[in-house]
Amino acid sequence: MAKNDSLGRFLFNSNEKAAVGSILYEQHLKLIEKNRIAEFAGYLMPLWFSSISAEHSAVRESAGLFDCTHMGILEFEGDCAQSLLNTITTNDTGRLKVGSAQYSYILDAAGNVLDDIIVYRRAEKKFMVVVNAANEPKIKAYLEALQNDEAILDIEEPARKLDYIPVIRDMRDCNRGSDCRVDIALQGPVSMKLLFSMIKGAETKQRFQDLRPFNLIETELDGIDCIISRTGYTGSKIGYELFVHPEKAAKLWALLLEKGKPFGILPCGLGARDSLRVEAGLPLYGHELAGEFNISPFEAGYGWAVKLEKDFFIGRAAMHKKAECCDMQVARIELSGQKGIRPVRGHDGVLDEKGTCIGWVLSCAKAGEKQVAMAYISKEIIEENRPVGLYYLARNKGQIEKGKKDKVEKNERLEPDISGRIVARFAKF
Amino acid sequence: MVIEGLFYTEEHEWAKVNGNTATIGITHHAQEMLGEITFVELPAVGKEVEQKGELAVVESSKAASDVYSPVTGMVTKVNSDLESTPEQINQDCYNAGWICTMKITDVSTIDNLMDSKKYEEYLKGL
Repeated sequence: MAKNDSLGRFLFNSNEKAAVGSILYEQHLKLIEKNRIAEFAGYLMPLWFSSISAEHSAVRESAGLFDCTHMGILEFEGDCAQSLLNTITTNDTGRLKVGSAQYSYILDAAGNVLDDIIVYRRAEKKFMVVVNAANEPKIKAYLEALQNDEAILDIEEPARKLDYIPVIRDMRDCNRGSDCRVDIALQGPVSMKLLFSMIKGAETKQRFQDLRPFNLIETELDGIDCIISRTGYTGSKIGYELFVHPEKAAKLWALLLEKGKPFGILPCGLGARDSLRVEAGLPLYGHELAGEFNISPFEAGYGWAVKLEKDFFIGRAAMHKKAECCDMQVARIELSGQKGIRPVRGHDGVLDEKGTCIGWVLSCAKAGEKQVAMAYISKEIIEENRPVGLYYLARNKGQIEKGKKDKVEKNERLEPDISGRIVARFAKF
Repeated sequence: MVIEGLFYTEEHEWAKVNGNTATIGITHHAQEMLGEITFVELPAVGKEVEQKGELAVVESSKAASDVYSPVTGMVTKVNSDLESTPEQINQDCYNAGWICTMKITDVSTIDNLMDSKKYEEYLKGL
């Protein structure tokens, strides 16, 4: 029985479980009180350690350490792992060399984005896929449905079946042997220097130093077995994700903090993680991708990660259509953000020069004296440096009584509250 | 951090009562939960507000939070320093971070507030 609806959408009901502490929970409690820890995607995660702005600056000027142990990590191994991944992800795994990684999507047959992912090729027949914590239960259910022949692959050819039944392993599960992994991220300019000092052997040091973005090596950091990949979610030119055995995660975390102290490295919480990714223009699933506007990869600015020229991948037919008709797009907007300026928030209206609403804010964050927003706006308006206005929605009942709207529609005429300008879709630091 | 001699609400506002005048702000716990405060919407002087009515809005990058009036009364003075230096609430919520003063028009509303001991217990139970 298919777990898709008649349109090919994968149906998934999440069973909310009580949140559990991340693997590094005890480490966090050494640094902060419990009230700084909040529930996120079923895990108790730190919001901030020192302050969001101090942690944000640390990543831009020195480096920051992030608990990403909640991220889902799945392994695909076997003779057919590559071709299987080519069917269930949008990017081309055929072009993925051993020791490199690629950004990609998992879609359902209707072309809805189920998650944005990074696929790492560790060996010819061994892949590691990192999925969002919030989407992990859904992705696992989807993969299970695929394994059990319970998910539709192709709405145009409903009889289409997977050529191979995938072998998939949850790499965060400690009961699955020694090669288990959780993710800790070290992001920012001095991260290279610190990790370099923890690697032994001239040849390995050289290989680490030569590591290009979206490449990985497997080595040891002060004797701790580790996959080091030059990837991240902060927009830092230099930044790494460290995949370590769950039982060694606390040790590595403490070691990096201790050795990073002289460099000004700070532990960072979810707050800085969000402000950094917004400043860089990176999408968050549910906000700049999928979510209430059902934003497609093309609208998000990642059409290159959807290889329509591939013979087939799940959701391909629907993606073809979405590639052709998108009049809305995600743009990055800079606004002033000194103290005393009301912060812009999701759903606030974005206005053109005439005050016509052209879309909505998706996310906004403070970066130094600026605010950076990502917004879903009319594509035809988007041009670097073009000024836009912002309309603050009512923040409470009193403001509604004074005439502020709590919702704005496209094409509505509004008075801007503050102005900003469209900047490049992405920023690197 | 709770100060003796002040009155508190369950929504984490404090009131320092002197006769029929009250100085109002948000507690250490409230500012800690909000994080770095970047904007304060102050009430208009002369605004009349019931106990638990909307008095001000305090915003950090993460949340916009209403400040509810601890008493029924009229706003007599506002701390306009907060317009340019809202972080005073983070730094010194019980002194420099005061939000406004009010003339209490219904003193019986004070009886609905917690004293410092009760508020401390209330915080422990959260």
